[in-house]
Amino acid sequence: MSGFFVQNVWLIPFLPLLGGLIAALAARRFRFDAAIPVAAGVALAFLVSLGAWASSGAETTVLVSKWITAGSLVVPLEFRVDGLTTLMLSMVTFVSTLVIVFASGYMHGDPGYPRFFALIGLFVFAMTGLVLSNNFLLTYAFWEGVGVCSYLLIGFWYTKPSAAAAAMKAFMINRVGDVGFALAIFWMWTIVPNHDLSYQNVLAEGTLHNFSDAARIGIPLLLFWAATAKSAQVPLYVWLPDAMEGPTPVSALIHAATMVTAGVYLIARSTPLVALAPEVQLVVAITGCATALLAALIALTQNDLKRVMAYSTVSQLGYMFMALGSGVGSVARLAMVAAMFHLFTHAFFKALLFLASGSVMHAMGDVIDMRRFGGLRRRLPYTCGTFAIGGLALAGVFPMAGFWSKDEILLALESAPHAAHDLHLTFGWVYQVIYWLAILTAFLTAFYTFRAFFMTFFGPEKLPSADDPEAPPVDDHGHAHDSHGHGHDDAHGHGGHHVGEESAPIMTIPLMILAGCAVLVGLAFGPTGWFEHHLEGTLGFEGLPHGEHAFSWGTALISTIAALAGIALAYTMYAAPSTVPSRVAGSIRPLYRASLGKFYIDEFYHATIMKLVQGLAAVCRVLDVQLVDRLVQGVAMVPRLAARDVLSKYQNGLIQFYAAASALSVAVLLLVLLFS
Amino acid sequence: MTDPFTIDLLRNYLLVGAALFALGMLGFIARRNLIVMFLSAEMMLQGVALSLVAFGRYHGNWSGQVFTIVILTVAACEASIAMALVVVLFNRRSSLDVTLWQDVREPGVETTDLADEAGEAAPMEPIEGVESYPHLTPAGVEPAHPIQPWTERRR
Amino acid sequence: MTTGSLILATIGILFGATGTYLLLPHRLGAAKTRTIYILGAVFASLGLVGFLALLSPPALSPLGDFIAGSFFYVFAGGAIGCGVMTVTSRNPVYSALWFAAVVVSVAGLFLLADAQFLAAGSVIVYAGAIIVTFLFVIMLAQMEGRAVYDRAARSPGRAVFTSFLLLWSLTYCLASVRGKPDGPPPAGELAGPEARLLRGREIAGFYQLAETNEGRKALEHSLRPTSSLYVEADPSKPKPNVAGLGEALYADHLLTVELAGSILFAALVAAVLIANPKRAGVPPTPAAAVEV
Repeated sequence: MSGFFVQNVWLIPFLPLLGGLIAALAARRFRFDAAIPVAAGVALAFLVSLGAWASSGAETTVLVSKWITAGSLVVPLEFRVDGLTTLMLSMVTFVSTLVIVFASGYMHGDPGYPRFFALIGLFVFAMTGLVLSNNFLLTYAFWEGVGVCSYLLIGFWYTKPSAAAAAMKAFMINRVGDVGFALAIFWMWTIVPNHDLSYQNVLAEGTLHNFSDAARIGIPLLLFWAATAKSAQVPLYVWLPDAMEGPTPVSALIHAATMVTAGVYLIARSTPLVALAPEVQLVVAITGCATALLAALIALTQNDLKRVMAYSTVSQLGYMFMALGSGVGSVARLAMVAAMFHLFTHAFFKALLFLASGSVMHAMGDVIDMRRFGGLRRRLPYTCGTFAIGGLALAGVFPMAGFWSKDEILLALESAPHAAHDLHLTFGWVYQVIYWLAILTAFLTAFYTFRAFFMTFFGPEKLPSADDPEAPPVDDHGHAHDSHGHGHDDAHGHGGHHVGEESAPIMTIPLMILAGCAVLVGLAFGPTGWFEHHLEGTLGFEGLPHGEHAFSWGTALISTIAALAGIALAYTMYAAPSTVPSRVAGSIRPLYRASLGKFYIDEFYHATIMKLVQGLAAVCRVLDVQLVDRLVQGVAMVPRLAARDVLSKYQNGLIQFYAAASALSVAVLLLVLLFS
Repeated sequence: MTDPFTIDLLRNYLLVGAALFALGMLGFIARRNLIVMFLSAEMMLQGVALSLVAFGRYHGNWSGQVFTIVILTVAACEASIAMALVVVLFNRRSSLDVTLWQDVREPGVETTDLADEAGEAAPMEPIEGVESYPHLTPAGVEPAHPIQPWTERRR
Repeated sequence: MTTGSLILATIGILFGATGTYLLLPHRLGAAKTRTIYILGAVFASLGLVGFLALLSPPALSPLGDFIAGSFFYVFAGGAIGCGVMTVTSRNPVYSALWFAAVVVSVAGLFLLADAQFLAAGSVIVYAGAIIVTFLFVIMLAQMEGRAVYDRAARSPGRAVFTSFLLLWSLTYCLASVRGKPDGPPPAGELAGPEARLLRGREIAGFYQLAETNEGRKALEHSLRPTSSLYVEADPSKPKPNVAGLGEALYADHLLTVELAGSILFAALVAAVLIANPKRAGVPPTPAAAVEV
C-alpha cells in the first residue's frame, strides 16, 4: 500500500490539473460550481501526499515519461520523493485545499469564477511539479509555470489598470531573476558529468568536488539570484507588495504560503552545493537580513491591511534566507532544517492572516484601509480570534508555531559565528550582527502585526462610509468596487447592507482549521524532533555536517521578551484611540515619511533602471525604424522596380511575342548545350 | 544485310523536317492573320511528322508511323476547334487580326499598335481586284450592291 | 559533316533568311516594289539550293536508288519552297493553297520513306479536309479581299532572326552529334556516323545476349513480331505496308487508337458547340449580364 502512493506520485500534480481543466471547460456549460472539481482534485492530491509522506522511507525517483531527448541531452520527466518533497507537497496541497474552500465563498458571484479556479488548479499543478521534479531543467519549467500562474492571478481583474500593471511588474521582475536560473542551468550543464542535470547527479559529492572555484561560487550565486526574484528579496522584492492587487485568496496561497517560498526551497534543495561556498552563504544571510529589516520597517507605517501582511511576508522570507545563509560549517544541517521549518509554519499562519484579512475585507465591502474601520471584534468574532492566533504565531509567542521555528533560526544564527571561527573564516562577527538585527526584526514584527490587529479589531466601532475623511477619491473607490465588489452585490442581492457581518461558515471554517494548525504544528514538529527526522530522508542531507545544538533558553527568552515588548507597545499605542502615534510620527517625521513611502525604492528604480531601459528602448526603436526597416523596404523596392519598370511591359498579351520569346529561348538553349 | 535507309538518308529527312519546322515557326511569329498562323502551326507539325517517320524507318519499326497517325488525329481536332474559335472571334470583332486579342496582359501596358496606325497612313498597295477595275462612265442608274465591304477595306 | 559543309549551311541559311525577309510583308504594311520581290526570290532560291546541297547525295549505281534520290531532292525542295510561299503570301487563300502543296510534297517524302499509307492519309486528311475547312473560313471571314493585317507582318526582322537561328542550331546539331553513344560497344563493326545513332533493333539484340541484364524482359516485350517493319522469318523482306501498320496499331497500340477516337469525338462536340451561330452571334443581354 505504501509503495502505491510513492509510485503514483504523479497523481499529485495531475489531479489538480485535471480539476482545473474540468472547471475551465465544463463548469460554465453544465452549470456546476467550478470550485468543486478543483477542490476535489487538490484534496485528493493532499491525501496522496499524506500517503507518500507516511511511506517515504528512503528517497525514491519515479520516472513518468521522457521529456527531451536530443543527442547527449536527455531530460526525463522524473519525480523525486524524499523528505523535503513530501513535506512541501503536504503543506502546499493542504493550504491549497483550505484556500480553495475559502475562495469558493470569497469569490462567489464573480464573473470570472470558473477561470479563477481553473487557474488555481493550474497553479497547484505547477507548484507540486516544481517541488517534485528531479532535475534542474524540469524545476525550471515548473518555476516558469508558477510564474505564469502568479501573473495570471495577480491580473485576475485585468480590467483594473492597477492590477494589470502589478501583474506586469511581477512578471517582468521575475524574468530578471529567471535569467539567473537559466544561466546557472547552462553553467551546470557544461560541467556536470553526462550533462545530466538530475539532482542526484549534480548534488553528488563526486560532482561537487570537481567544480572549479568559479563554479563553486558562481552557480549558487546565480541560483540565489533567481531566488531573490521569486522569493521577493532585496533588491527584487518590489513586486510582491504590488501583487496584493490580486484576489485575497491568491495572496494567501501564492504570495504568502507557497510560490514565494519556491526560492527558499530551491536553495534548501541545493544545500550541498551552497554549503561548499561560505562566501555565498554570507551573501544570502546579509541579503535575508537586509530584506527582513527593511520590510519590517516599511510595514510599521502602512495603513493597508493586506500591504502590512505583504511586507510581513517579505520580512519572514528574509528570515528564512537568513537561516539558510547561516549554515556555515557544522551549522549547515541545523540551518537548513530551521529554514524549512519556518517555511512550513509560516505557510500556515501567514495563509491564516491573509485569509482573515480577506474576511475583514469581505465584511467591509472591499475596504482595506485600516483607518476607515475599527473595533470590529464584536462584529467579526471568528475573524478576530483567528487573526489573533495568527498574529501571535507570527510574533513568535510561546507556544505558537512561529515561536519554535523562529527560535530555531535564531539558534542557527547564534551558533554560526562559532562555526565560522572553527573554519577559520574571518567574517564570523557578521553573523553576530545579523543575530541582533534578527531580534530587532522580531520585535518590529510583533509591533506591526499587533498594530494592525488593534487598529482593526479594537477601539471604537467604526465602519467604512463614503464621507470618511480618509476615504480615497470616489472614482478610485468605484473602480475597486466595479471590478470585484459587484460580484458580491449580485450574489447577496442587497447591495452594501452586508457590510459589517461575519463571513459565511465556508470562509470561517478554513480560518479555524488554519488557526488550529498555527497553534499545533510548531509544538508537534519542533520540540519533538519529527521535523528534522523527516528531513533526514532528503538528498544530500546525510552529508551535511552537523553538531549538537541544544535548545537555547537564552535565545528563547530574548525573542519572547522582544515579541511581548512589541505587542505591549502596540497595545499602548493603538488599542484605544490616542494621540501617541501621531506625536511619535511627528517627532521623527523624516523617518516616518520614508517608511510610509516604502523608502522610495520604487521611485529610485523608476528613476534609474527604468529610465535607462527606456532610453535603450528609444535607441533601439530609432535603429529599428530608421535602419532595419529602411533596409528591408529598400530590398523590397528592388523587385518592385524591376517588375514594374522593366519586366511588366513585356507581358503585353501578344501571343506572337510570347512565341518568339519561347523559340528564341529554345534556340539559345540549344546553342548553349552545343557549345558548352 | 545492308539497310538501304542509311544514317545519311535519315539526316536528310531530319534536315528537311527542321527546315519545315523553322518556316512554320517563322509564319507563326510573323503573320498576323489568325488563319495563316494556324496554317504555319500545321506546317510545324508536318516537319515533326517527317522526322518521326524517318526515325521509324531507320529503326525498322512502326512507332514513327503510329505516332504520326496520332499527330494527324490531333491536328485534325485542333484545326476543327481552331476554326470554330476563329469564326467566333471574327463574329465578335469582324477581323482576323491577332493583335486585337491582347486582353490578357499586364495592366497599364499600352496596346497601341504602330503597325495599324502607320498602315492606315501608308498608301495602299496596288492590287488586283475590284479596286483596280477601270473607272467607266456611268451608263445609267447604278444597280443595288453591297458597297460597304469595298469602301471599308482596311478593317 | 565537314567544316566546309557547315560553312555552306551557314551561307545557305543566311541567304534564305535574307530572301525570306525580303519576301515577307512590310512591318508597317507598306507596299514593296517588284525589284524587292525579285531580289527576295533570288536570295531565297540561292538559300534553298545551298540547303539542298547540304543533303547527302544519293547513290548513283542502282538506277532505282538514283531515281529515288532525285525524287527526294524534288520533294524536299518543293516542300521547303512551298513552305516559304505559304508564309510569305499576302493573300491567305494563296497561303492555304501553298500549304496544300507542302502537304503533297511531304506526302512524297513519306512515300520515299516507305510510308505509303501515311502519304495517302495525310494528303486526304490535310489537303482534302483541313485545307478545305481553312478555305471555307477564309471565304467566310474575308469577302472583301486583303486586309491591312495581311499586308503587314509583325516585326519580320525579329521573326526571321529567331526562326533561322533555330534552324541553324538544329542544322549544326545534326551536323555534329557529339558524345559517345551509350549503346553496345560494337568492337569496330560500326565505325563512323553509324556508331553515333544505333538502331533500336541492334541495341535490343545486344542486350538480349546479356543474360543478366535487367532490361531484357522489357526488351523482349517490345520486340514482338508485330512491331517490326520486316517479316519475322526473313528480316530482309518488308511487310506489306498497310497490313503491317494495321497490325502494329491494333496489336501494340490499341489504347492509342481508342484515345485518338475519343479525342476526335470530343473535338467534334466542341467544334459544334463553339461555332454555334446562335450562341456566338447574340450579345449578352443586360439582364443576363446582371445575373452573371
